[in-house]
Amino acid sequence: MTLTERIIARAAGRSTVAPGDEVWATVDLAVMHDSSGPRRIAPILDRLGGRFWDPERVVLAIDHFTPPATLTHAEIVGFTRAWARERALRHFFDGEGVMHNLLLEEGLARPGMLIVGADSHTCTAGAVGAVAVGVGATELATILVTGEVWLRVPPTVLVRFDGAMPAYLTARDLAMAVLQSLGADFAIYRAVEYVGEAVEGLGVDERAVLTNQAVEMGAKNGIIAPRFEGEDRVVAVDAAIDLSPSVPEECEAVHVFQVADLSPLVAVPPAVDQVRPAAALEGITLDRAYIGSCAGGKAEDLRLAARVLRGRRVRIPLVVTPATQQVVRSCLADGTLQTLIDAGAVLQAPGCGACAGLHSGLLGPGERCVATVTRNTPGRMGHRTAEIYLASPLTVAASAVTGRLTDPREVL
Amino acid sequence: MDVLEGTAWVFGDHVTTDQIYPGRYLERPLEEAGRYALSGLDEDFAGRVRRGDFVVAGVNFGAGSSREAAVVALKQAGVAAVLARSFGRIFFRNAINNGLPAVIVPDTSGIRTGDRLRLDLGARQVTVLDTGAVLPVINLTGISMAILRAGGIVPFTEARLAERRRA
Repeated sequence: MTLTERIIARAAGRSTVAPGDEVWATVDLAVMHDSSGPRRIAPILDRLGGRFWDPERVVLAIDHFTPPATLTHAEIVGFTRAWARERALRHFFDGEGVMHNLLLEEGLARPGMLIVGADSHTCTAGAVGAVAVGVGATELATILVTGEVWLRVPPTVLVRFDGAMPAYLTARDLAMAVLQSLGADFAIYRAVEYVGEAVEGLGVDERAVLTNQAVEMGAKNGIIAPRFEGEDRVVAVDAAIDLSPSVPEECEAVHVFQVADLSPLVAVPPAVDQVRPAAALEGITLDRAYIGSCAGGKAEDLRLAARVLRGRRVRIPLVVTPATQQVVRSCLADGTLQTLIDAGAVLQAPGCGACAGLHSGLLGPGERCVATVTRNTPGRMGHRTAEIYLASPLTVAASAVTGRLTDPREVL
Repeated sequence: MDVLEGTAWVFGDHVTTDQIYPGRYLERPLEEAGRYALSGLDEDFAGRVRRGDFVVAGVNFGAGSSREAAVVALKQAGVAAVLARSFGRIFFRNAINNGLPAVIVPDTSGIRTGDRLRLDLGARQVTVLDTGAVLPVINLTGISMAILRAGGIVPFTEARLAERRRA
């Protein structure tokens, strides 16, 4: 069995599963936020009797509408908070950052787990070797009561990156290279598993970019076999599961990328798979730059940006939304925030920020922004005629310095 | 619900949930969702679509965000079924969970906006009534069909819970 199949088999209480099998599986963690959570699920929960199957396995984070920009946002946040208190929810995060990143930071997501979440980027948690899948709010409500989810076992597509990572590339460039060559739908109803030397060398923050972007490839889940050394919080949910990487013979397809052949990339609006080398887009001038989101607002993302921005000044407004409060703490301690601020970046409160298209730096008609956010679909960050160019933190920082799309090698 | 007839509204490939239900409306009550259906692509769609019409699309319809409002908006606007070559998987689950048939038809290229269609879920086929062309439906078996027939995941779960109590 592949890594994803082994994890689903355990959750389904079966010795084996195969692609295409339909199974009912017991989840290890059910997660939601202030947009998909209580305001949507409360009436359904009531209809189903209102009792959680296991309150210890429920996680709620206020991350979308925080800090509230309007009274409507404040009402949603207030309702969510009151609901969490009424239920004495233990794993409740109130404006402390993006749910996906909190699950990894807090050690709630663990290798071997089956995680469901009412958000498409739930797949991010695959960075620690979990099978993490997004569902809708109504379905999550039913899972909160029964603890069970229906799954069709996905075939696994193996994506291998050969060679060591050079300093001018990041995991975001690797993910965009996959989208460029295979498109935004190659992995529909499939698991994407990343392997290879370049992946093995990545820490959890960078691994999380690869698993996060799996949904942009259409995948059910993205996963990387866990690396246990040096990350002692990451302990498998069940010592009996084999969490080694999948072997190619068990996978539906294997796609191999030579990292040395790749260059810094940009996904051009309106699609995540319209990917070109940054160097080929240097004529495109920009209005704004943005670093943030579950894909691009982690400590490693801010550090990568700081590497470019040290001793330089931005020519266009650069807004930085750290993914979590822990990112703020760690980047404050090591001087990263000082470097970003000295370069002219403006800091915002942790959370989903402008990536959710709700507040904190929405784009107006025709505005052109280079960003580390999750996707560049029209209207994602505001007006539908605004243009979002997706890039790595290195490329976003380099572009903020020049005011046009820029290959970071030009600046580094 | 096994046989539905409606008029086709044809869209392209990779229509995302940000286009079906733009993020800026997420703060609005779900009861109003229908007004904004597909407004990211066509601001007049919600005003012109008639109850019982079908949305027809190419590959990866409903890609992106897990927002269930995308499905609720289409249903409220009157859309009775969505036909596509493939779906974003969370959109697909949300559709089934809300009792909206999300039908995979491997080739939708012959369907034009305004065509009258008949969807037969039992026979698992779509007929283009003007031309008589018959297109096979390749999904909606097993658990997903059972959830759809129950009227969605909530009534389906109610029945499962009742069954458990009896057992």
